[in-house]
Amino acid sequence: MPSVFSLVSRLAPSRYVLWAVLLSAAGIGLLLGFILLRRVYRHRYFQRLNRRMAFLRNNWEGVTQGIVPTESWWSKTLDREMVESILLDQLENANPTEADRLTKFLRSSGLLDRRLFEARKYRGGRRRNALLSLGRMRVPEVIPVLSEALEDPDGETRLIAIRSLGRTGLLEAAEPIVQYVLRGLPDVAATTVQNALLRCCQERPAILLPYIARADDAVRPLLARVLGEFASADIADDLILLTTDKVAEVRASAARSLGFSKSAVAIGALARLIEDPDWFVRLRAVAAMGQMNDPRAIPPLVAALCDENRLVRLRTAEVLSRFERQLPEILRAVMLTRDEYALQAFISQIERVGAIPKLINALGDAAKQSEARKVLMNLLKSGAHRMLLDALAHHPVGRIRAAVARLVAQSDDERLLPQLDEPRAAQPSEEQEVIQLHGHEAQKKVPV
Amino acid sequence: MRLFLNVSNDTLFFYYLISNLVYFVLLLISLVNSAAHQRRLGSVRLERTRLSPLIPPVSLIVPAHNEERTIVEATESFLTLDYPELEVIVVNDGSIDDTMARLRQHFKLLATDLVYVTEAPCKPVRAVYMSTIQPKLLVVDKEAGGSKADAVNAGLNVASSPYICVLDADSILEKDALLRIMVPIQNDPRQVVAAGGIVRVLNGARVSQGQLQEVRLAKQWFEVIQVIEYLRAFLIGREGWANFNLLLIISGAFGVFRRDLVRQVGGYRPDAIGEDIDLVVRLHRHLQENDKEYRIHFVPDPVCWTEVPSDLRSLARQRARWQKGSIDVLWRNRDMLFRSRYGAIGWLGLPYHWIFEVFAPMIEIIGYTTIIIAAVLGVMSRQYFFLFLLFGYAFATLISIGAVLLEEVTYRRYNDWRDVSRLVLYCFLEHFPYRQLHMIWRLQGIWQYMRGDIAWRPMKRIGFESQRSAR
Repeated sequence: MPSVFSLVSRLAPSRYVLWAVLLSAAGIGLLLGFILLRRVYRHRYFQRLNRRMAFLRNNWEGVTQGIVPTESWWSKTLDREMVESILLDQLENANPTEADRLTKFLRSSGLLDRRLFEARKYRGGRRRNALLSLGRMRVPEVIPVLSEALEDPDGETRLIAIRSLGRTGLLEAAEPIVQYVLRGLPDVAATTVQNALLRCCQERPAILLPYIARADDAVRPLLARVLGEFASADIADDLILLTTDKVAEVRASAARSLGFSKSAVAIGALARLIEDPDWFVRLRAVAAMGQMNDPRAIPPLVAALCDENRLVRLRTAEVLSRFERQLPEILRAVMLTRDEYALQAFISQIERVGAIPKLINALGDAAKQSEARKVLMNLLKSGAHRMLLDALAHHPVGRIRAAVARLVAQSDDERLLPQLDEPRAAQPSEEQEVIQLHGHEAQKKVPV
Repeated sequence: MRLFLNVSNDTLFFYYLISNLVYFVLLLISLVNSAAHQRRLGSVRLERTRLSPLIPPVSLIVPAHNEERTIVEATESFLTLDYPELEVIVVNDGSIDDTMARLRQHFKLLATDLVYVTEAPCKPVRAVYMSTIQPKLLVVDKEAGGSKADAVNAGLNVASSPYICVLDADSILEKDALLRIMVPIQNDPRQVVAAGGIVRVLNGARVSQGQLQEVRLAKQWFEVIQVIEYLRAFLIGREGWANFNLLLIISGAFGVFRRDLVRQVGGYRPDAIGEDIDLVVRLHRHLQENDKEYRIHFVPDPVCWTEVPSDLRSLARQRARWQKGSIDVLWRNRDMLFRSRYGAIGWLGLPYHWIFEVFAPMIEIIGYTTIIIAAVLGVMSRQYFFLFLLFGYAFATLISIGAVLLEEVTYRRYNDWRDVSRLVLYCFLEHFPYRQLHMIWRLQGIWQYMRGDIAWRPMKRIGFESQRSAR
């Protein structure tokens, strides 16, 4: 009887195709088998996992207090990993007292030592897993091991070491990160380094200042950006020095920090930065002024509203719109600049933050209506009438519709007068008040 | 005649072989990449990313044309996305149904005099509205532009964030999708200029209040086959090509782009049929011509769920439109072919698309014809004929099952045994008659494009809430 191979060889050129078919079929079989086996395995694994997880959670107090003997879970890898996972999850949300108790258990149970050992002894995936766990443990003992991992030849391991150092949130962890950065721009993404430093330096941002002074032009912006996220009044003098740095990114970060510092001297420095040649420095200065929420910032901000850069104008408008109490004066000052772009940006922003509907509603409030009327009239004169016309047609309160109608009539804008006829047509059922026009004057008359 | 048939059949054989081998290589690359991506995700904690002050703001642009059935739920769901710095811009593209009225009523919209610079061309904007109850929402009401690109451009002009994310109004984004898609951008904001997420099939899933409640497979055969197609296209195709920075498409249903760059290239081309592929190719062109180092990423874990055609007529229209879109873009950019200036895009990415996407239906129909004639005339041995068909069938099935495997080992959205079994079953069944129908639809697309018929034909939708009850 001829063999299968001799049969196949008789197929001549077709035999190659047959082999390809057979290989494909084998591939399909393998893939299907793999999917099937994996499903079965995972089903069983999760069943076991859920069972053990339920047991450990139900006896968690016993586990942490040693009532459940450590040997009962330590020797089983799955159990040990679950205990560590529950512990680290709890540590992330624990109050200081609870965190102390859990940390004590972390040390006494040997979980910490085991991870320290793994991070030192192994390479690759096992080391990375250990580093991730160590970062979540947030104890000072992990810092030397995580720092050593910054020397690992594998980029992914170094990345995880930085993330884990940041995750500790300890001030001591900032030092190895900064040293790593100072050795030259790292291959790890700048945002990863910055995020890690942000967590470590939260308590004492001043720790970064000497490093910023030492760093070269490439690294200084990276560190300054971290400082820019939080600063306090006690480092305001150092920050003001940074506002004269030759690197624009550093000046921008200094502006940002000054905003957080809320220092009394910050306004002057920020006002100078508003005239910086680089637009994004001006942008940061404007944003920082917004954070200070100090009315002394209004004049430089109004000047910044006339900036040549559109983004600066828009941001300035956003900042100015937050000064709700000073809105009438600001609007007047903006109109005095006679800068159409500035005026448009400002009006657009106050519309966007919902200030105009508030002003329209204030027309119905005897205490606020006079101020509201002034601002709204200025708005109408500047050409921003869309929202007012919308209120004229759709506002549910007849008295306010009437007040808006009077404003429109008094605006001397002939293009708007035909709009005054529309409310009657739009809402005949609600017409408790009929607005009649005599020339440019609107009168309110209650129908019989 | 005999020579012609032999040459044609051999060409077809090698064409099939190369096409499937390329996909097979992409499958292997995707398996490795997906595993690496999963591993990297283990060290990223999204809640930390969300809290980071360094996270860049994003403007979501949602073009809507006659979307009254889904627009409110969709907008609500976009507004509740887990992202700290978000602006949602819904663009009502001249809808003739109640889309605008529903938005106006539900979000208490007020017309504003918002200032913006029209950098990308679009039809006139009637008004820009802000919501009195949702400060993150802006609605642009514009005249119908006849294309999604026109509507997106209007949103692009109004957008104020450094990144824009374009979404379809009939899509549902998973809560953390935006955070996930921004991870590669955050890691390397200088080089990564755009990123695409994965689009999955919503049909069959249970949706409530604009949120996905349960993922299930659709009931109709051609909907299940579309699921396999999407898995294959995204998990193998996009993942694989992105590995070489040769991604030519970021799905119009879910992608993030650097706003300044999109504006630099003039926004979306309003008359583009396939605005998604058009934009990405123009971005490649712009960046290559300016000698920029850049990357266009595919991120496989942020998921956008979208409704796919649930009747054959709509499916035919969609596929014809896709084909027209591809031809349109590739034809317009034919000067990029085999030019060293455009690097691997010119030498590999675009030629591959020409040969294996645009010409595919024509080669297939010629192949079917010549192979049958050859078999009838006895030019080709019957054994060879059947073995060849069997090989094409088996190899293509292998690739499809590979896509299901990728889904299984990585993101595993289909948990029910029955769903996975059906997915696998349809990997065997998709080759007849779906494949032939698909070929005909694509040929129709080519024919329509050659005739200059580029009109957009709407797809029949059943809406979010009726996804399960309609079955």
